[in-house]
Amino acid sequence: MSTFWSSWIMFLVVFNMGVTFFLFLWGQRVKIPLQPDGTTGHVWAHGTIRESVRKLPTWWVWFSASMFAAGIGYLILYPGFGANKGVLGWTSQGELARDVASNNAKLEPMMERLRTRSVEALSADEEVIDFGRRLFLDNCAACHGRQAHGNQLLGAPSLAAGGWMYGGDGGQLLASIKDGRRGMMPPFAETFDKEGISNLANYVLSLSGARHDARMAAAGQPQFAVCSACHGMDGKGNPALGAPNLTDDIWVHGGDQATIETTISHGRTGTMPSWGPRLGAERAQAVAAWVFANAQGEELARKRNAKK
Amino acid sequence: MASGYKYIEAIEKRAGLLGICIAVMVSIGGLAEITPLFMKAHSQEAPAGVKPYDALRLAGRDIYVREGCYLCHSQMIRAQRFEVQRYGEHSVASESVYDRPHQWGSKRTGPDLARIGGKYSDEWQRMHLLAPRTLVPESNMPNYPWLENAGIDGGDIQARMRVLRRLGDPYTDADIADAATAVQGKTELDAIVAYLQGLGTLNVDTSAPPAAGTPAASGQP
Repeated sequence: MSTFWSSWIMFLVVFNMGVTFFLFLWGQRVKIPLQPDGTTGHVWAHGTIRESVRKLPTWWVWFSASMFAAGIGYLILYPGFGANKGVLGWTSQGELARDVASNNAKLEPMMERLRTRSVEALSADEEVIDFGRRLFLDNCAACHGRQAHGNQLLGAPSLAAGGWMYGGDGGQLLASIKDGRRGMMPPFAETFDKEGISNLANYVLSLSGARHDARMAAAGQPQFAVCSACHGMDGKGNPALGAPNLTDDIWVHGGDQATIETTISHGRTGTMPSWGPRLGAERAQAVAAWVFANAQGEELARKRNAKK
Repeated sequence: MASGYKYIEAIEKRAGLLGICIAVMVSIGGLAEITPLFMKAHSQEAPAGVKPYDALRLAGRDIYVREGCYLCHSQMIRAQRFEVQRYGEHSVASESVYDRPHQWGSKRTGPDLARIGGKYSDEWQRMHLLAPRTLVPESNMPNYPWLENAGIDGGDIQARMRVLRRLGDPYTDADIADAATAVQGKTELDAIVAYLQGLGTLNVDTSAPPAAGTPAASGQP
């Protein structure tokens, strides 16, 4: 703050407090001339109401005096009087830094584990999982959903069903979270005609044992050679490219015939933003641990249900 | 002091004079608290490397204002732990140097957007603006389906850039000349997504890493 504005504020503060303090002292001492009837002579409502003279109540005088003391005390302790920093040296930045530091100190034991242990090991750590779940809800759920079941309209894969596009071990999860992923399937509308695409879609449906037209699927099978470059001859996908497995019943964009045909003709692009800079290494580790633990839990639940 | 009473009486009996005296005393507060910060805000300079809005983002910003996004979303992360934990490093005045008016505020029906840039993909932003509940089922944000079909008038954007230049934004003649082609064929949806993706990424000085112990990385819970 420049000297001019600092002095400007100081002048106004002194002026304001000076005027009010003068009124405070003077108002109590000023002599009010009395009329013979003992009033000030001020009348309202044609003389029905007349103004009498009373001393200010003692409690009010002390209360006002303490307000002046509080105001002056505040300006001594805290910033406010021009560029004066106040004897406590308080700043909002300083308070934030203290709050962040004390919070970090509370988290430090867990952060230490997050720095030193693997995602797999951390997935059994209750505190880490709870922490990771909160971060997931705040950051990841907008695309992957609060239950991590994904969003086929966006093409955000389910993180609960297994069927990982890029691999589901701790290292791969962490890489996906920190660096993000850019998936691209090229469009094939130029390569195949409309019938060819329908045949191919039926063949893709047949891979996972879904309802399909066997004749069309058989016609589409030879054309799948084009697709196998990424999805593999057996259609089991390729995690190195992020090409999804087509033989399970897990779909990124949807597994009905019309959606598959759209996918084949127009291709797909998908972007997972990189979260490394936003989350930092420890928090990315915690999110990965939660995703890992959550997927394991879903896996167990599925197996349990299958047995029943 | 006996004669002093006549001043009290003079004020007491004239409501107009009393009003003027009250206005003088009350405005001292404003003169001390508002005027110096107001003058300081006018001398605020942009962070190193931050340029004024390019044509598309400028169009997007005006759509953001037109649609009243500020009524539910602030762009002001306060310097408090729970704020920086959730949203990242707290906002500073220099980030809004090219905003007229700035989009700060404390009304949050939706989340703060000061650091939203890059948090989600462009595709997510598009879907979310058109129909938020396809992505966030519990959202109460309205749909903005018209953005997808509305085009942007390049001449209009150039006129706005010329006005901003007159107000002091450092647009060059080339910037303004290129603006028409930059928004050619773009929709309002493209513009507002470009604007959102620049919040917290293109209006801040990214050359200096955040100081140790402050948000960005360590801000999350």
